[in-house]
Amino acid sequence: MGEVDKLLLPKKVADRYLKGVTLGEGTYGVVFKAIDTKTDQTVAIKKIRIGKQKEGVNFTALREIKLLKELKHPNIIELIDAFPHKENLHLVFEFMETDMEAVIRDRNIVLSPADIKSYIQMTLKGLAFCHKKWVLHRDMKPNNLLIGPRGQLKLADFGLARIFGSPDRRFTHQVFARWYRAPELLFGAKQYGPGVDVWAAACIFGELLLRRPFLQGDSDIDQLGKIFAAFGTPKLAQWPDMVYLPDYVEYQNVPGKPLRALFPMAGDDALDLLSRMFAYDPKVRISAEQALEHRYFASGPPPTEPVLLPRPRPKKESGNQKTSNLSHHDGLIVLSPPRKSRRVMPDREGHESIVPQVDKMDDHQSEVRQRTGESNDRVPMSLDFSIFGMKPPSRPTINSADRTHLKRKLDLEFQPED
Amino acid sequence: MADFQTSTHKAKWIFSQQDLKEKYKAANQRARQALEKYGATRMKVDIDGSFSYAELQSDANDNAEKQSRPKPLKVEDEQLLRAFYEFKIQDVCDAFKFPRKIQATTLIYFKRFYLQWSVMEHHPKDIMLTCIYAACKAEENHVSAEELGKGIFQDHQLILNNEMLVLQSLGFDLIVYAPYRALEGFVNDLEDFSGATVDVIMIKAMHKVAAAVVDKIMRTEGPLLFSPGQLALAALRRANEECMVFDFERSELFQLYNPPDCAYYFIVYHILQNICRYLERVLSRQHSIHTSSELSSSLHAIDLLITKLDTQSTKDLKHIDRKLRSCQDPSSHDKSKKKKHKTKNGGSPEVLDLS
Repeated sequence: MGEVDKLLLPKKVADRYLKGVTLGEGTYGVVFKAIDTKTDQTVAIKKIRIGKQKEGVNFTALREIKLLKELKHPNIIELIDAFPHKENLHLVFEFMETDMEAVIRDRNIVLSPADIKSYIQMTLKGLAFCHKKWVLHRDMKPNNLLIGPRGQLKLADFGLARIFGSPDRRFTHQVFARWYRAPELLFGAKQYGPGVDVWAAACIFGELLLRRPFLQGDSDIDQLGKIFAAFGTPKLAQWPDMVYLPDYVEYQNVPGKPLRALFPMAGDDALDLLSRMFAYDPKVRISAEQALEHRYFASGPPPTEPVLLPRPRPKKESGNQKTSNLSHHDGLIVLSPPRKSRRVMPDREGHESIVPQVDKMDDHQSEVRQRTGESNDRVPMSLDFSIFGMKPPSRPTINSADRTHLKRKLDLEFQPED
Repeated sequence: MADFQTSTHKAKWIFSQQDLKEKYKAANQRARQALEKYGATRMKVDIDGSFSYAELQSDANDNAEKQSRPKPLKVEDEQLLRAFYEFKIQDVCDAFKFPRKIQATTLIYFKRFYLQWSVMEHHPKDIMLTCIYAACKAEENHVSAEELGKGIFQDHQLILNNEMLVLQSLGFDLIVYAPYRALEGFVNDLEDFSGATVDVIMIKAMHKVAAAVVDKIMRTEGPLLFSPGQLALAALRRANEECMVFDFERSELFQLYNPPDCAYYFIVYHILQNICRYLERVLSRQHSIHTSSELSSSLHAIDLLITKLDTQSTKDLKHIDRKLRSCQDPSSHDKSKKKKHKTKNGGSPEVLDLS
């Protein structure tokens, strides 16, 4: 068999990758850290079970592979490899240290106006590239903006992303975590464009300025209420098409607050850009590409070099590098976004320490039990709130009811495209 | 995704004629070796994409087996079988009323798959179904495996079983570019070029004729050799020529106007001339990426592929199919003989019906 075997497809095996610690556990599998022995590069490998599922290979994974194979950009996560091995589909990504949510939450970090400019510029660069290639991300939120070892920000998690641009193609409006959902989506729009990502980017911009989520609605209706309370109920002249949206309802007229009152710490240029990104009418809303041309990025201070950006540091230094992740005990309870794996930040000094973080995921609960290794006293930044005894805001993601709906809409719709 | 220039399609999946020849030969050689070694060529595939040759149970009559060892398919045989199943793909996709995009994606997946495998190793019928399934998934027009299987009386488990193998063989490059969108672009451009002087309905009719030519091109090796834009342009040119050469009364353009009159002939003549001039212009403005002579020779090569497809003989298919069965699994030889009697209605491709 040997000779013939050699002639077959080059079958990649996991022993190209030196397996490291588990970084998290998502809904569709485990993510672990590894070294690519071929390139000596540190990578993160997402393992997706491929058992005898009724619909074969996981859709979300397939969507992510499909798009990331084509999207190569410094501000988009790189999919290095994809291969099946031992009943699992393995997706190999470049390894990222932390994410923007961790940066925003870390009370020890001070973000200067130049830092914020740098983060939002990288976000918009990644987004503009997606849109140029006709891809909507549809799940923009700080937690999906990963930060690499040299401070580079990259868009990740393309599991909800899809190609747009075919005329009359209808999409589901059940996308994005609620706090980042554009008003047209909340009004049930089925045909929408890159403006939805820009709105979410504006929310992220606001969150960087405020250091807390900007519009925290606790239901879709409440989300609209929060939006209107901030910017005022949209007037027909501002957004003529809104009355034609499927779920449009008239809201009581409320005046908005001046943007300067909402973001007292922001400069004039930042406020002007924000106001354009938060335009109600998606047709009027600034595009990611135009936003990058905005004077906010040209005027001082210049955006901080990514490598100089402040990033979360581990709370305590740990010398113990032999900790195994076999020894868990139930530790602190961290409120964390369900659905996704929490990303933990291993040490940045470069040595191979093992951070035994295994997060148990449960779609129906927003609570995530964080298990920490006994002998490792390094605490990831995501525990900050617990340490301070504060209750972190529970971040809504797409709930399970939405998701069923979403699945139906995303996967089972059948519409001729051409 | 609308950027062919930076796509995996352009970077990894456009070959030269010579490349294709070598790949088909290599796959064929490997299957031949397997036949020598194991007495059968069919491969066992697992749900996780792993595969191995299904070794023939060494019966006591090993020597007798050797004498009646089945003959492998020739490279040309394989090509004919693939062409047959590519035709089937269009049939099945039409039956399901799938959009052209899915049909084209399926065909491209199917072609790419058999750059690496011989039809003796993986039966094209199974791969066809899995390619349809994968294309539906990738194009976000999901149809469940069960529904698909039911629709054509095939076991859906087979579809799922081959999915990982197919995805892996495609290198997970799932976004592919079909010429239909490019054709649309040329037609829009043509409308602008022609201005108000030309009847829009006429251009629409020409679009339809050209799309039918693209359908044909999709069954040639063209999609592995040329960019979708070149394929679309070749289709438009050929459609134009066909309309010019053919008797107007039989051309599709003609059906639009009833009864025809002199004015009509004049309009048709006018539009065809217009398209000629348009094509000339497109050819001459290609100086940036290709020289116009390069493009002309590509269009010519695509033309030849279509002609080859039109003249392809299907009369040997039945014989080839029998050969395939016996070398995939010689123990089923007797069974296949019986089957053959049941479906004895000449050499038409219908003998290879899916059921």
